Amino acid sequence: MIAALVVALLVATGASLALGAVKVPIGEVLDIVLGKGGSGPNHQIVAALRLPRTVEALAVGAALGVAGAILQGALANPLASPDVIGVTGGAGFGAILVLIAFPARIALVPVAALAFGLLAAALVFTFAWSGRNRGSTGKIVLAGIAMLSLFTAATTGLLASFPERAPSALFFIAGGLTNAGWQGLETTWPYLAAGGLLAAFLVRPLDRLALGDDVAASLGSRPPLIRLGAGVSAALLAAAAAAIAGLLGFLGLVVPHVVRMAGGTASQAFVIPASALGGAALLAGADTLARTVRAPIELPVGPFMVLLGVPVFLWLLRRAV
Amino acid sequence: MSRARLSALAAGLTALVLLVALLAPLGAGAQKRQRRIVALTPFAANTLAKLGVTPIAVGQTLGGRERLSPKVRQVPVLKLSHPIGPNLEQLTALRPTLVLSSKTWAKGNAAMEALGIRVETRDPRSIPGALADTYKIGEAVGSKHAARELLKRMRARIAAAESGVRRHPKVMLILGVGHAPFTFLPNSWGGSLIRAAGGELVTGGATSRSGFQRISDEVVVAANPDVIIAVPHADPEDIPALTRYLADDPAWSGTRAAKRGHIYVSVDNSLLQAGTDIARTITRIRESYLHN
Repeated sequence: MIAALVVALLVATGASLALGAVKVPIGEVLDIVLGKGGSGPNHQIVAALRLPRTVEALAVGAALGVAGAILQGALANPLASPDVIGVTGGAGFGAILVLIAFPARIALVPVAALAFGLLAAALVFTFAWSGRNRGSTGKIVLAGIAMLSLFTAATTGLLASFPERAPSALFFIAGGLTNAGWQGLETTWPYLAAGGLLAAFLVRPLDRLALGDDVAASLGSRPPLIRLGAGVSAALLAAAAAAIAGLLGFLGLVVPHVVRMAGGTASQAFVIPASALGGAALLAGADTLARTVRAPIELPVGPFMVLLGVPVFLWLLRRAV
Repeated sequence: MSRARLSALAAGLTALVLLVALLAPLGAGAQKRQRRIVALTPFAANTLAKLGVTPIAVGQTLGGRERLSPKVRQVPVLKLSHPIGPNLEQLTALRPTLVLSSKTWAKGNAAMEALGIRVETRDPRSIPGALADTYKIGEAVGSKHAARELLKRMRARIAAAESGVRRHPKVMLILGVGHAPFTFLPNSWGGSLIRAAGGELVTGGATSRSGFQRISDEVVVAANPDVIIAVPHADPEDIPALTRYLADDPAWSGTRAAKRGHIYVSVDNSLLQAGTDIARTITRIRESYLHN
């Protein structure tokens, strides 16, 4: 299964580098990627546009896949995704606040998305870890839904207050990769690295948590602490992903289910790396389709992710049931 | 009939004719006063002003009241919001007999018509469309002659503004800010003006009924535009920061426009939404952006 995902990832990466609105010979693409030559517009197209965009697609896809996997594991909830801990709502509000109210500060969009995404998650954790039943799954999910509603309402309010500026925000809301070079990754790589590292440390604790809180506790684990760690990791990964590519909720929800069903195991040692590979391959493939199907027009990537992901998901679901 | 009676009859008839002659303009004036026109677009509002007709309300325009003729700046403003346009209760309270609207408010236009209000969409997306709509507005408000005279002046000024083009630079005109901007196509207001100013619009061959389309940056790099003009929804004080941001865009930094410092930001919306100052806008595009 992992081998199949690696092949899918390589195919998607190759297609993302080789295909675009402008035809560049494969040999030239290879030379440019390997730093062996190329010049002029083709060099700029491959080196400054396609390469950073492909790397961003892989990073964002992997981040969202992992974020979804650890949240579903930590909350024992098949519907868990970065939406559930408020990250998506917060990131959306931060980005749209800058785009609409401070257009001259547009370079701050990724920073604002990251900051507000993390703020939303921090508020969710604060509420979920206060009062009785601290850190319980129910409290986290309910606090997350409340925070998502709050930030979504604030975003809607902003859009309604500045209707003439709303078009600038649409692409962020729809979600999609852009040709911002390495800017997005330059801002977010520490958060992606920290979130990924934390996720790697959570593999065994999450497997213990899957046995139930009581069993996990009897094995020496602290379920609320594991959930907090999973939440922090998912928040870092999802906020960084939103800062780069806007709101792509579908990926974090579906990819972990697909790899779980296809792999026939719910072990996090398999699900987390497989979700990273699957998410990266899906987003890179979908983005390639989005920018080539109606070239030179670029379409939002969201519908293409659904187009690629849902049939596989439904097929696996049918087999599983 | 005696001479005296004939004289009295003639005097009476003369007085009657004089009375009719005196009262007729007042009657016409009263008729004009009864026309209650709402102009939701700056184009319609300014055309009415040029025709000597004052609307009872104007729509809130992009970029504030600066785009409105001084003659209608004191007219009450109706706020517009998607997807209806004006608040229908506020509009109904004004008892309009005619609303000059836009296709943007198609949903609202149907609702207005359902309320028994006559609606005409007058928000052109091209210069020929603007000329045609000018006449149609004149026709709708009973000022055909004034509209014909206005058209003559507009055509002459536009021809003068278009004349003497020395170069045809490749121009990319974009809507919005950020790394996902939409390009103006030839069937947009801005696209029509750029072509009239002698620019060759960079679109990558994309088409769209809306007049805008998000095109691949790869096409922009390959087309290598001489001039990039951005039309963001922003304020004038944002122009320097936005210009710097666009010039640093990784996708465009290698274009001739960026290298020669020919990246501009226009925030007054004259390229986004039709206006009546067509010749002046063409002249400004040529002088400030195209240098041709």
